[in-house]
Amino acid sequence: MRWLWGALFFAATAWAGAAQVADVTPGRAIDWPKDSGAHPAYRIEWWYVTGWLETPDHQPLGFQVTFFRSGTTHEAKGGEDVSAFDPSQLIIAHVALADPAYGRLVHDQNIARQGFGLAYAKVGQTDLRLDTWHMTRAPDGTYTVVADATGLALHITLTPTQPLMLQGEQGYSRKGPLAGQASYYYSEPQLKVHGSVRRPSATGAASESVAVTGHAWLDHEWSNSLMTAGTAGWDWFGANLDDGAALTAFRVRDSGGHVIWAHATLRDRDGHTTQFGPAEVEFIPERQWRSPRTDSVYPVAFQVRMGAMRWHVSPLIDDQELDARESTFMVYWEGAVTLTGDGASAGRRGRGYLELTGYTRNATLQAW
Amino acid sequence: MRPAKPSASPSLECRGLSKHYGSGRVVLAGLDFVLGEGEFVAVMGDSGVGKSTLLHLIAGLDVADSGEVLIDGEPVLSLSDDDATRLRRQKLGFVFQAFHVLPHLTLYQNVAVPLLLNNLSPTPAHDMLAAVGLGGRGNDMPRELSGGELQRVAIARALVHRPRLILADEPTGNLDPQTAHEVLELLRAEIKATRAAAVMVTHSEAAAAFADRVLILSQGALHDRARKATAAR
Amino acid sequence: MSTPKTGRGLTTLARWMLGAQWRSHRGRALVAMVTIALGVGLGYAVYLINGAAFNEFSAAARSLSGQADLQVRGAQPFMDEAIYPRLAMRVGVTAASPVLEVDVALPGKSTTLKVLGMDAFRARRMTPDLVSIPSSQAMLDVLADDALFLSPSAKAWLGAQDGAHVTLLGGTSPITLRVAGGILRARPGQRIGVMDIAAVQTHFHLQGKLSHVDLQLARGVDSDAFRQALQSELGTHLVVDAPSDVESRTDRLSRAYRINMNVLALMALFTGAFLVFATQAAGVVRQRAQLAMLRVLGMTRMDLVRQILLEGGLLGLGGGVLGIALGFMVAALALRVFGGDLGGGYFPGVEPRVAFEPIASAIFLLLGVGVALAGSLVPALEAAKAQPAPALKAGSEELALAPFGTPWPALACLVVGVALALVPPVNGVPVAGYGAMALLLVGAIALMPRLTAMVFRRASARRVARQGNVATMLALARLANAPGQASIAMGGVLSSFALIVAMAIMVASFRVSVEHWLAHLLSADIYGRVVQGGDAAGLRPDQQAQVAAVGGIAHVAFARVSRLTLDVAKPPVALIARELDAADPDATLQMTGNVLQPTSWHSGETPVWASEAMVDLYGYRLGQRLELPVGGRGERFVVAGIWRDYVRQTGALQMRVADYRRLTGDVSATDMSITLRPSTTATQVIHALKKLPFGDALEFSQPGEIRARTLTTFDRAFAVTYLLEAVAMVIGLFGVGATFSTQALARAHEFGMLRHVGVTVRQILAMIAAEAGWLTLLGIAMGCALGFAISLILVFVVNPQSFHWSISLHVPWAEIVMIGCAMLVSSCVTAVLAGHRAVSMDAVRAVREDW
Repeated sequence: MRWLWGALFFAATAWAGAAQVADVTPGRAIDWPKDSGAHPAYRIEWWYVTGWLETPDHQPLGFQVTFFRSGTTHEAKGGEDVSAFDPSQLIIAHVALADPAYGRLVHDQNIARQGFGLAYAKVGQTDLRLDTWHMTRAPDGTYTVVADATGLALHITLTPTQPLMLQGEQGYSRKGPLAGQASYYYSEPQLKVHGSVRRPSATGAASESVAVTGHAWLDHEWSNSLMTAGTAGWDWFGANLDDGAALTAFRVRDSGGHVIWAHATLRDRDGHTTQFGPAEVEFIPERQWRSPRTDSVYPVAFQVRMGAMRWHVSPLIDDQELDARESTFMVYWEGAVTLTGDGASAGRRGRGYLELTGYTRNATLQAW
Repeated sequence: MRPAKPSASPSLECRGLSKHYGSGRVVLAGLDFVLGEGEFVAVMGDSGVGKSTLLHLIAGLDVADSGEVLIDGEPVLSLSDDDATRLRRQKLGFVFQAFHVLPHLTLYQNVAVPLLLNNLSPTPAHDMLAAVGLGGRGNDMPRELSGGELQRVAIARALVHRPRLILADEPTGNLDPQTAHEVLELLRAEIKATRAAAVMVTHSEAAAAFADRVLILSQGALHDRARKATAAR
Repeated sequence: MSTPKTGRGLTTLARWMLGAQWRSHRGRALVAMVTIALGVGLGYAVYLINGAAFNEFSAAARSLSGQADLQVRGAQPFMDEAIYPRLAMRVGVTAASPVLEVDVALPGKSTTLKVLGMDAFRARRMTPDLVSIPSSQAMLDVLADDALFLSPSAKAWLGAQDGAHVTLLGGTSPITLRVAGGILRARPGQRIGVMDIAAVQTHFHLQGKLSHVDLQLARGVDSDAFRQALQSELGTHLVVDAPSDVESRTDRLSRAYRINMNVLALMALFTGAFLVFATQAAGVVRQRAQLAMLRVLGMTRMDLVRQILLEGGLLGLGGGVLGIALGFMVAALALRVFGGDLGGGYFPGVEPRVAFEPIASAIFLLLGVGVALAGSLVPALEAAKAQPAPALKAGSEELALAPFGTPWPALACLVVGVALALVPPVNGVPVAGYGAMALLLVGAIALMPRLTAMVFRRASARRVARQGNVATMLALARLANAPGQASIAMGGVLSSFALIVAMAIMVASFRVSVEHWLAHLLSADIYGRVVQGGDAAGLRPDQQAQVAAVGGIAHVAFARVSRLTLDVAKPPVALIARELDAADPDATLQMTGNVLQPTSWHSGETPVWASEAMVDLYGYRLGQRLELPVGGRGERFVVAGIWRDYVRQTGALQMRVADYRRLTGDVSATDMSITLRPSTTATQVIHALKKLPFGDALEFSQPGEIRARTLTTFDRAFAVTYLLEAVAMVIGLFGVGATFSTQALARAHEFGMLRHVGVTVRQILAMIAAEAGWLTLLGIAMGCALGFAISLILVFVVNPQSFHWSISLHVPWAEIVMIGCAMLVSSCVTAVLAGHRAVSMDAVRAVREDW
């Protein structure tokens, strides 16, 4: 549910005129697997893969690969006048690797307009490309993800082990108190990962690829501008629990630090799903980390309460700050975390990804 | 300043010196001549008889048909131009009728030229200027001087580096008799003081009277003339 | 007993003598120094201006390709965008940035604005300087189709601030755009605009077109090998460029012009060298007794040579330093006031700043010193060679100058000079031609003494036989018997007059040729073109029909002008598609030599007519069969004729517009020539044309205007030439003055003697004037002959080799006679003025001054 992404992206832009966009309404059934493809009628859309990997020598690694599709207000003209460079659809991609041996997050990003077969998000089946990076879904449901980036590379396949997890009301996910603040949203938790990773090297020398295995989580979400006035940031995490359950939780903060909206979902191994409303979810920061680069202070460890359950969320490494000013104008913290249950969830453990935004002063900087 | 060194050989010796002009006229024909150290001779003769040519041959400024000139025992005519030039700047001093004082150098600089050419310190030029009666006027320019004064500068320049031989070509030709007398007195005194030998070409009996002996150049040879008493002193 | 060669003593003496020279001849030394300073200064200024303009122009051109390793462009101005993904996905390419460049006309502006259509995401790393800067509230403006980002000087030029609206002429219709911000970094004076590439394609109707794709290669990829492989794969319709090619093209485009300018400037320096020679030679003559006395006192020949060279060298050094300072100031001033363009039009749209260049400065300084040393060498050797004994007597001036009478080296110079004129250019520069000119000049000057003696001896003999007046007789007698001195004065006249005549003939020949060419070319009544400097689309067929339908027009011939790149290292050639009568191309073009009649074409061949530059640069010959990147691959072309072109020195090809349309499918037109019906006026028709919907985008001119404009441009291009010519003349007169005044002073004795024997002052002055007059007349006559010879080299060797066009010879007699008379009068006046001083000097003082 990284929906504020796009919201912030577009908040930084001035709209010349409203383009034709489709509305997000409840009751629209997710059309699977057609909905795994792109939805160009909606302004923003993303495929967000996060997960934990293990190297042959049992070293843990966190990884993240994201493809965004952004419809600009640039209205595509029909007919022979249209330019092949028409910038109505942009493709943005991020790839990041958290390697404790390296000590901090390594990441790369890219952005391009859709076209010429160089960058696209196809309709009907997940098929995404940005230059050499791509992510495709085979008819059998497995995903292939390839990203040869500066300083790291990911060549992995993701194999589903559980059914689709529809977020919110059968895929209609509310993001705020108003009905219009919503998105279509499904997840694929507990994906099995195989593949290879080229890890960053402290010396800068090209390092060898290593084989990896692990578990990942895919979010696919599409929507229009959802920005709630006064929103300053959000805290979100999603985790695969060791017992096969899948857990997500988030809160949205205003500039005074007050929570505007919060929600959590737990789906057990057997498919039984529990929803937690704003009143039942509480994030209690436990430890803070200050970025030496941006001077931002992130609450990198939390205690999260959901009803009677308590989860201690702590990072794989502290420095998982991601500077994406070149593509989405944002600096945020997005990192691999471990979950340890307490209270009603005592004894349960899990591994997932935490996203902390809105902690950076001057988050939108002069990147261009 | 080098002391005049006592020498066994004569200051100047000409042996069988012959020279004819381009027109074919014979000027010198086997001329023989010896000049002892400190000796001052006057050479007289009719116009065009070759007096200046003789001086030029002695100075290595002109080429003889045959014969030899020895200065301090050193042959001149067989020397290269550069060696002759070096010999000239070390051992010879010149005084000309037209003074030939360099017009854009000061008196002091004019007198110092021979010292500098011999790579010596220029300071003795001051004493030399004083000796010819121009003490304290070292910074004057030649254009401010009278003819007699110019010739005094020339004499100072001719003697400042203690040459072995002075060649004077009509030194008083451009001067009035009174000035000429003073200049010749000075010339003789300075020659004697530095113990240099001297050859003076002149038309003037009055000038010739200052020499130790007088030679007549005629028909390509030098002839002794009866020695006269030196002018009244 | 021998002393060291140069001890402290000699150093002191050298210093004293330099001081003495300076005190006694300050004026003359200053004149010599100023002359050298003028020569060095002019040369240095021209070099600096050209260099600064060239560097700035290259830097601006380079900034457009940024960090790119290679650039793929079309041989014609635009290429199909389909090449872009192919390049982007090619192995070894890490980044590919597509660019669509258009030169856009603006209402009320005479020059165009270069607008770069770019994909901001792709250009960010490739050309970071050109990244557009939107306001932080409107980041997406970089993609907006109505947003234009302007460089600072483009903003200033258009008077448009952020948020303002500007109107561009897109092809034939106006487009209003919003100034949405600036670009990150632009060279001073660089006027460019940046837009989203999609917006440029749609606004300018260039869908599917790109100008170039910039490529960055992966580390470790051999750029040259990659380039060759890519080029062979792409064929001749696309060219792969390296950034260094930009410089090479700029260099080739302007090299001939820059070198010619430098050579002209160096001619001033050559005249300066002659003046140093005159000064030093006169000095040696004047001081012959002093120098002889120094020899008597014991200065060796080498000491003397060294002393005179030292004097000359110091004059050169002083003049050189002065010249460098002068040149720098002139260059800075000229760049500030006139911009980097010296009138040649090679470096538009840049604001170069002059920069001090140590190496170039040192070279020009050395040139000044070298010229002065060369000028002093002959007099120095002469002084050293002189026998001191005779030199102590008066009247020995001619002995000192006797060797100038030996004719063989001079004749050798002339022969070698003529031979050099036949040598082809080196690397596109007529080095041998320049060498030939220099040798002719030197040879002629060296031959002067002999010629002077011959001419005046004969004249004198005849005059004596006829019993003329005293002054003439005396003057001729002196000239006949003193050729050495006379030749020095005459050398000055000769060299400057020869240069003036040569330049005058060259410029006149060129100008008359251009006029004839224009008359041949401008056969229609009205010429029109689409106001757009670049290559964007012109008039569509329906618009062409509208033009043709305007009342009063008998016939409109449409033409399409675009560019072709045949060799990446060379600037593109112009491709002109127009109505041409293949059987009689001479009706439209000024053909040189034969033309290939249609009967001699093979079937399937398309005829092209090549400009003379194509012959020089690409080796085209009449009847040659070739392939061109026009139309599909494998099209055959034949060179059907060679025509004269004074506009495009980088080459141009003409073809029939029907052929062009058939081959390329491009039916648009950029130019038109209109023939009127009788009884209509051009003004009426232009008025009617301007009222067409796209009338604002059209620009019309009438033959008279074009002619006037072309000749104005021509004159501006040669303005600097005129300046250099004037400087050469002034320096030449300086030389005459200096020679005559030194000689007059040296001859004070002679004048005194003449007065004693009863010649009046008036007669003496008349004699001096007569001498100067006769001498200058001879100098002018010889200068005229020599100048004519040099102009032949300029017209038939240097010009074709430099600019690749032929011109026919035209001699501007009136101008030459006028300058000749001016020279004659000024040299007589100078001589009389100098003589007056000498005559009025009393005898004793003359002796003191001069002995």
